[in-house]
Amino acid sequence: MKKNRRRSADKAANIIISMISMVGLLILVTIFVFIFQRGTGLLSWKLFSGNYYPETYDTYFSGPIDTIGYARPADLDPQAFYSEKWGIALIDDLNFEGKHYVRIEYVDPETPLTLLPDKNKDNSYSSIASGQSLDKVIFTDNSIFLSKQGAKAGIELFDNSDGIRDMLTTTPGNGIRGSIITTGYLILMTLAIALPLGIFSAVYLHEFAPKDKWYVNLIRRFIEILTGVPSIVFGLLGAAVFIPFTSSLFGASGGNLISGALTLAVIVLPVIISATEDALKNVPDDYRQASLALGANKTQTTFRVVIKSAVPGILSATLLSVGRIIGESAALIYAIGTAIKDQIILTEKSTSLAVFIWSIMAGETPNFDLACAVSIIIMAIVLILNFSIKLIARRISSVRT
Amino acid sequence: MKTITRSISNKFRKRTADKLANLLLLIPTIISASFVIFIIIFVNERGITPFLAARYGADKVSLLRFLMGTTWFVPPNQYGIFFIVINTLYVVLMAAAISVPVSVITAMFIAKMTNSRIGGFFQTIVELLAAIPSIIYGVFGLGIISKLVIRIAFVFNMQTAGGISSLSTVLVLAIMIFPTITLISITAFRSVDPDLEKSSLALGATKIQTLFRVSLVSAKSGIFTGIILGIGRALGEATAVSMVAGNAGSGPTFDLFQTTRTLTSTMLLGLKETSGLDYDIRFSVGIVLIVVIVCSNLILNYIKKRVGRFA
Repeated sequence: MKKNRRRSADKAANIIISMISMVGLLILVTIFVFIFQRGTGLLSWKLFSGNYYPETYDTYFSGPIDTIGYARPADLDPQAFYSEKWGIALIDDLNFEGKHYVRIEYVDPETPLTLLPDKNKDNSYSSIASGQSLDKVIFTDNSIFLSKQGAKAGIELFDNSDGIRDMLTTTPGNGIRGSIITTGYLILMTLAIALPLGIFSAVYLHEFAPKDKWYVNLIRRFIEILTGVPSIVFGLLGAAVFIPFTSSLFGASGGNLISGALTLAVIVLPVIISATEDALKNVPDDYRQASLALGANKTQTTFRVVIKSAVPGILSATLLSVGRIIGESAALIYAIGTAIKDQIILTEKSTSLAVFIWSIMAGETPNFDLACAVSIIIMAIVLILNFSIKLIARRISSVRT
Repeated sequence: MKTITRSISNKFRKRTADKLANLLLLIPTIISASFVIFIIIFVNERGITPFLAARYGADKVSLLRFLMGTTWFVPPNQYGIFFIVINTLYVVLMAAAISVPVSVITAMFIAKMTNSRIGGFFQTIVELLAAIPSIIYGVFGLGIISKLVIRIAFVFNMQTAGGISSLSTVLVLAIMIFPTITLISITAFRSVDPDLEKSSLALGATKIQTLFRVSLVSAKSGIFTGIILGIGRALGEATAVSMVAGNAGSGPTFDLFQTTRTLTSTMLLGLKETSGLDYDIRFSVGIVLIVVIVCSNLILNYIKKRVGRFA
């Protein structure tokens, strides 16, 4: 009897524990479902290559338009309205703030609309392309289209007119090209600073430093403390030290990419040092002794034998750092700033992908769809990095055994 | 004779090369170690300026009011941070209270109760959660958790400001420290001496009894290390917290459905100018944050020692 009761109590406990353990899985799946549901719609080449800030074109076409006509493409959205006369399709849509606008859904490649003279710039041409919003058109017969009239009315006006006196279209914007470039710059600069510093420090601490000297222990302790410092405090360091430093050195005014990279370098430094030291620990002592026995001195042994064997470990430290750089936000908000830029200059502000999300979420109307699309990109990179690190670790352990 | 001198000079040269390398490597090492000192010196230097008449003259902030205040900002120059410290500790402790049991049980499941394949799968899940950057947790918190909190508030007939509340902050933090505590607890459970567990089983204890009374007790110290790290992470977490905490002007707030304000959200929210009192005072908040983290670390380590003594 008693045994039975104990057994069923055990079973019940087992089930409860298994269920609680599902919480982690549940959270991960929820995060994935959320960001993919909201974000996949925006994932396109335009997102990667486009500018963040919309640009307005002011064009005209004195006409008259040929009467040959342009056939409606078969794969056009059935909800779009199409003008065969002009070869343009319009559709009603809502932007992320929920406001209505008229989007140009399709422009026939043969129609004159693909290349129109720009009113604001002399001898300059702008092309009306799908994705742009149609804000306002004044036709040559003085009829006026405003976007609030909707796509259907717009197409009717196009069909009734032979020329355009003034047309305002706006590129979609919300592209992340600038942030991708910034992230790339930050990764390169940070690694260029942190890798030599970190690897040399690890080599010194593991290969050269005298054992149990007070100053060596102190140095180790200081580097260890760095691991526990929250990233926003690194941001304060960047704002208080690196921004003035780069200002006086490169003439930057305020936060800039170099001060950001210096701050990130301090953040990833303990990661690189500890991973490199682990890698050095895993290099068998036989290698060192064999090299020394062959007459090489310690410096030669370290740099030609030991470091070479530690390369996979250093590589995984690098990947770990890249993940940290891509995900870092709080420190960069202080060390660079939150201004989104399309033109990237090293001595000026810009946003990495993570800070880009912060910037578009911080306003009155957070742009969830775009934030989730960028989150998908960040997650994909982080996942790839993580699996690469696992592969390297497996490779190291299989070589060792 | 010639060869001998050459070999001696060679040897000498090699030894100087070693000494030189030693010296050249010491420099980057010292630079790496010096950043901690940089942080302490320069953040403090900037953080004390708001309290100095030399910099702000009549507009200087009263230090006493800053440390004891229950309202963040009264123009032009009164700042108070006491309630923010209380709010921060409150949400972090609540988050730990939710996260610790779940993390420890998950770790127990992964380390002790399944075969290595399922355990490995779940461990990968936890590692992935650990790798997700905090900004994504922030987006998730604003998109899902705050909506969930609105539902919960509706059930309890309470009002929330669009789900921006202490409860959202607590839940986001609980999710964020879950992987930290779990991963370290897994290691702690794995390093329990199997003989102890086997003896317990041999004495007639069931598997579950053994897990809770032997394995858990032996892994206690390691689990506590995980909790300390988790709380440290929660205290310093900035981006995700700032997105769901709100911007409460005064406090302390213990109502879970009210907006709150933590030390880190105070530092991040409304950051526009990069000079002036509003900017410099954020460094003062940073100093308080560092002090809070160091103190909580010391206290928790003390508790860990005390708990470890009564095994």
